[in-house]
Amino acid sequence: MSAHVVYLEQLPSLFEKWKEKFKLFVPQKKGDYYLLQEYERGQEICFDYDVIYNPIKSFLFPSYETLLDFDLKTYASKPVVDAEPQILFGIHPYDIKAINQLDQLMEMGSVDVNYRARRDKTVIMGLEPLRVAKTAFWSFMDAEKVDFGFDLFWTKIGPSAFVVEVGSVLGEELLFVNGKVDVATAAEKEVARRKHQEIVKKAKMQNVLKFPNTDIPKVMAKSFNSYVWIEKSRKCLSCGSCNFICPTCYCFDIQDEVDDLLKKGKRYRTWDGCMLRSFASIAGGHNFRKQVFERYRHRYMRKGRYIYDLLGELGCVGCGRCIQSCPARIANPLEIFNFLWEDVSYEK
Amino acid sequence: MSKPKVAFFDFAGCEGDQLQIANLEERLLDIASHLEIVNFREVKTEQADNYDIAFIEGSITRPEDEKRLKKIRKQAKMLIAMGACATIGGINCLKNFLGKQEYTSLVYGPYARHYSTYATRPVRAVVPVDGEIHGCPIDKEEFVLVVKSLLLGKIYIPPDYPVCVECKKAGNICQLEQGRLCLGMITRAGCKATCISAGSVCWGCRGPVPGANLDAARQVIDEHGFSWLEAEDRFRLYLGYFLRLQGWVYEQETT
Amino acid sequence: MKNKFSPYVPRLATLKSKKKLSDYVTLFRFEQDNGRPLAHSPGQFIQVSIFGIGEAPFSITSPPIREHHYFEIAVRKIGSVTTALHNLKPGDKIGVRGPYGSSFPMQKFIGKDMLFIAGGLGFIPLRSVLNYMIRHRDEYGKIMLLVGTRNPKERIFIDQLEEMSKREDIKVLETVDVPDETWKGNVGVITTLLPKITIEPENTYVAMVGPPIMYKFVIAECKKMGISEDKIFVSLERRMKCGLGKCGHCQINGLSCCVDGPVFCYTDIASLEEAI
Repeated sequence: MSAHVVYLEQLPSLFEKWKEKFKLFVPQKKGDYYLLQEYERGQEICFDYDVIYNPIKSFLFPSYETLLDFDLKTYASKPVVDAEPQILFGIHPYDIKAINQLDQLMEMGSVDVNYRARRDKTVIMGLEPLRVAKTAFWSFMDAEKVDFGFDLFWTKIGPSAFVVEVGSVLGEELLFVNGKVDVATAAEKEVARRKHQEIVKKAKMQNVLKFPNTDIPKVMAKSFNSYVWIEKSRKCLSCGSCNFICPTCYCFDIQDEVDDLLKKGKRYRTWDGCMLRSFASIAGGHNFRKQVFERYRHRYMRKGRYIYDLLGELGCVGCGRCIQSCPARIANPLEIFNFLWEDVSYEK
Repeated sequence: MSKPKVAFFDFAGCEGDQLQIANLEERLLDIASHLEIVNFREVKTEQADNYDIAFIEGSITRPEDEKRLKKIRKQAKMLIAMGACATIGGINCLKNFLGKQEYTSLVYGPYARHYSTYATRPVRAVVPVDGEIHGCPIDKEEFVLVVKSLLLGKIYIPPDYPVCVECKKAGNICQLEQGRLCLGMITRAGCKATCISAGSVCWGCRGPVPGANLDAARQVIDEHGFSWLEAEDRFRLYLGYFLRLQGWVYEQETT
Repeated sequence: MKNKFSPYVPRLATLKSKKKLSDYVTLFRFEQDNGRPLAHSPGQFIQVSIFGIGEAPFSITSPPIREHHYFEIAVRKIGSVTTALHNLKPGDKIGVRGPYGSSFPMQKFIGKDMLFIAGGLGFIPLRSVLNYMIRHRDEYGKIMLLVGTRNPKERIFIDQLEEMSKREDIKVLETVDVPDETWKGNVGVITTLLPKITIEPENTYVAMVGPPIMYKFVIAECKKMGISEDKIFVSLERRMKCGLGKCGHCQINGLSCCVDGPVFCYTDIASLEEAI
């Protein structure tokens, strides 16, 4: 698709125009962290953030979501599918990859209507990273670049200019709301390409995966009985932080809630995590993953093997959020992958 | 079906939990429409001794309390402990770490010998309980949830996962990561991470989560640069009773 | 929103009758309010909603029969939803989603001998297969049914078991783990029944359902008797919550028990560490 050039001073008027029809979320700085928050006029936008603290999935798959309303007397029930048009601005490629993966998983078998409705009303505007988070290793997880999944993709090529790649018709329409913008010249596109190479090079310098990521599923398949699971999970608090901040985790629980008069109620779903103690327990008390290490292992298997078996791509995009948020510092997919690879190679 | 009769009783505590219920204001009327409240000091004056559901607030700190509690247990079809003092012993357990002479003289001075008192314990250590509403003070939403569950015949099971879960769902930035001592990782959830969302840290008022890995928590706190003493002080504030139990009794009872 | 469809919205069904099977287990018969049969296959499960309490998965215990518009579930009183079910009176409503999941391959079983192995409440889903076969008795070969129960008080479908044991064309063997004074039959775990039957291994299919602990031992015994892995079918229990393969609670390694299961051919799960 085509690429255009947009200047920084054009942004506020674009944003104002978009805000008429969409809720607009942009990366903002909060203390030492970055959050994707709603844009207010005149607000500063962090183009050089390293990683958004809150996982992007929360905009498509909120932590609490009503599925249906019911009436306790008549037993009538009707679905609740709420979705507001929104623009997520400034999403890094690895997060877009995570969204693409969620799209596919939510579509498989039975379509998740609530997710789909939200996704259909969401415009995704990618952004080339300018910095790499300390814990990130996305450059080793095939997540440094995405070919689809965005409506516009922005690359900052100078202090006040962007090359904007168009990814969809809607994206183009949004880009032209204030009239057409210049088409990017070959030179400008070249700068954008170099910016991309630069940041990938930078990302490759740190947190190195020591083997091709295509080997991860094989390594994981051989490591089900590795001692690393028990060893590492000794410190696990079963708090689920790694699940909840993960952009590709999507497990949920379904619960009922009734009003104070006990007449009407709603059924809602809320995030759940496989690291939590009773995640796999059934009525009668049997827990299929009673031990911490079993749950700890399941999460890595899911990221490194099971998702791969389903989709042919890894369930981890290397954003590094879990490494950052695990209080015990034991959630580190990179470390686990590297360790297991060495372990498996040694045994051979 | 006649309305279940509900009574509130308090032991050693500040009555802050009953106040939380009174804070429900108009909503209390909706909820009370399914109940007959016969004994509720914070809201009404008249009292009766005929009740089905007893809510107990406060911890057991004197031998006399035990007698009274057992009598309530006998009368009530259902007994629900409410608030940190009642469910986990709460702050009152701080005295368990002092000698009896020490704390009685600290509190009562020269009159210490006139007061009978012993190590603080939660309600469940004295009589069987049918339900627990954790928190200091309790979350009024959770109280409403428990009452509604009772009315619907649903078993209310308080969350068996730590506060981190609800904190992440609320979209907060981890306090521990920002260099503050937060006990969310071992504390039972259900509060919707209120304190952290409001900018504070978790103090552990809802007690340890079932299966809490206290050893790991100590190590984690240590690695985050807090001293052993700091951590132990924070633990003692609300988890005192369980530090003494070393967790295992609690674990057995809740699984 | 124009499109107001959601897979989470249950259809309504009405309780027609209930029958006590044991101290804790009750058989419920429902009919869908839309007048249609459930159209399930033996081995599938449904999600039953009691609004305000929640939703829980139950295997269907009635066989799929075209002229029967009802379906049956047998429920053990164990949690909130099951207690609420036990409190229902005929005429009361429930919500139903499903049927979900895989089923026993009835076509494959045609002309073959069948060995049913039911541990405890595992008899509930197997009864669907069994009753279907009894209805189409001439299509199937020998039918053998092994039932293991914890103690005589917990036996379920006693009437049917007694009736079947009188039949010439069905062999029924029962055992209990812990006998009481009224019990005169076999005592011991279910594997003790296997030596008491004779089978032609190459012509026999096995369908087994029971508590998690049972499978490992019974499958080992079956293999010893010469039954190949592809002739063993099991139904696994997990915490199915959404029934759509989304919520993740019922994962067995990389599989979702609610869409890939609950009925599995043993060859498909033999290599899964978390399955058995």
